[in-house]
Amino acid sequence: MPTLENIKDVWKKQEDCKYNFSKQEIFEMMHLKSSSAVKWILIISILEFILPNIFLLFFDYQGTVDFYNKYELTGIMGVYFVIHFIIILFFIYIFYTNYRRISAEQSVKELMENILRTRKTVKYYIYYNIAIAGVIGVHIFYKVFQSEIFLEQLPENTNMTLIWVMALLMFGFVLFLFWLVYRLIYGFLLRKLKLNYRELEKTE
Amino acid sequence: MYRLYFLNFVTNRLFLLLINKSTKGVTKDLEKKFVSDLEKHQNIIHKVCRTYTINEAAHKDLFQEITIQLWKAYPKFRGESKFSTWMYRVAFNTAISLYRKSKKNVDTGPIYDNLKELEYQDYNDEKDKQIDMLYKAIHKLNDIEKALALLYLEDKSYKEISKTLGISEINARVKMNRTKIKLKKILNP
Repeated sequence: MPTLENIKDVWKKQEDCKYNFSKQEIFEMMHLKSSSAVKWILIISILEFILPNIFLLFFDYQGTVDFYNKYELTGIMGVYFVIHFIIILFFIYIFYTNYRRISAEQSVKELMENILRTRKTVKYYIYYNIAIAGVIGVHIFYKVFQSEIFLEQLPENTNMTLIWVMALLMFGFVLFLFWLVYRLIYGFLLRKLKLNYRELEKTE
Repeated sequence: MYRLYFLNFVTNRLFLLLINKSTKGVTKDLEKKFVSDLEKHQNIIHKVCRTYTINEAAHKDLFQEITIQLWKAYPKFRGESKFSTWMYRVAFNTAISLYRKSKKNVDTGPIYDNLKELEYQDYNDEKDKQIDMLYKAIHKLNDIEKALALLYLEDKSYKEISKTLGISEINARVKMNRTKIKLKKILNP
């Protein structure tokens, strides 16, 4: 029966593992594809970079342009687009530099920190997307609700506050759903890593 | 339609740019040296695999992933540290953070079902039985404690342990003591 006093002796009795691999087997193994978690983090992160903006590609372009013209939004939307594009490039750059830092040769803690930092970039990117969607959304609501074209369609004595509240609630709910889906993926990817990191950091 | 083509092109390029760790310039000699180094020191990886997995299939799976990670990092290995130290680091990183466990093969959590462990072959020899019991006890530790236990059993210095894990020597000592107490409780309940 091993005890704390004799475990080192027991341990040293270990001989070669019964599944020792030959040179040929090792050679074959080293050229196989990795299925590491980092690879998944990369794939999912790239999807997350693309997905919040992918719907832009499928929008009815002419319809959108007409809509913007109708409510005098063309200029400001152009500005938003340029800013958004620059910020996306900035995020991708930061993500890429962080990703490159990940290496299996680092200390256990350093590697965990680098993986967490890489994921954090994506987290902030998602938050940024929710924020910018919120800002643009409210801006569009504001312009539309102020315009004559819109107001003409409303029955008299319409309570504008109620329209605002409903529009914001619905819009907020959509953004909340987006955030929720993201949090689930985030939790799923990093739960174990975070637990281990906390365990390593703990110093009481 | 052209938008889709464009999107496809951009994502493909990005993907290639990010994941393509090309092995250009890596000669056959390096491959040979790696294979022979690894074959010589494979016992280290087997110990890590047996610590972090509970059956043969998972053991082999993890060994494979560690081999891939070692080979990926090998061109950067400058021999500043001992080959075995470097191997430990990559092996622990793979087992703790990089390896994507398939649920049916591996359970590294602290809550552990003893029945699953029967999948490892039964040993008749008294010595093998003792070693098996020791591994079973180690399996009840969490991922970080497993690494500490293994480094302790391998007689590593606190300096080396602190470097491998990336924590201070004091913290390593504190954690080691706690791990030993836990292990003692598991071995002699």
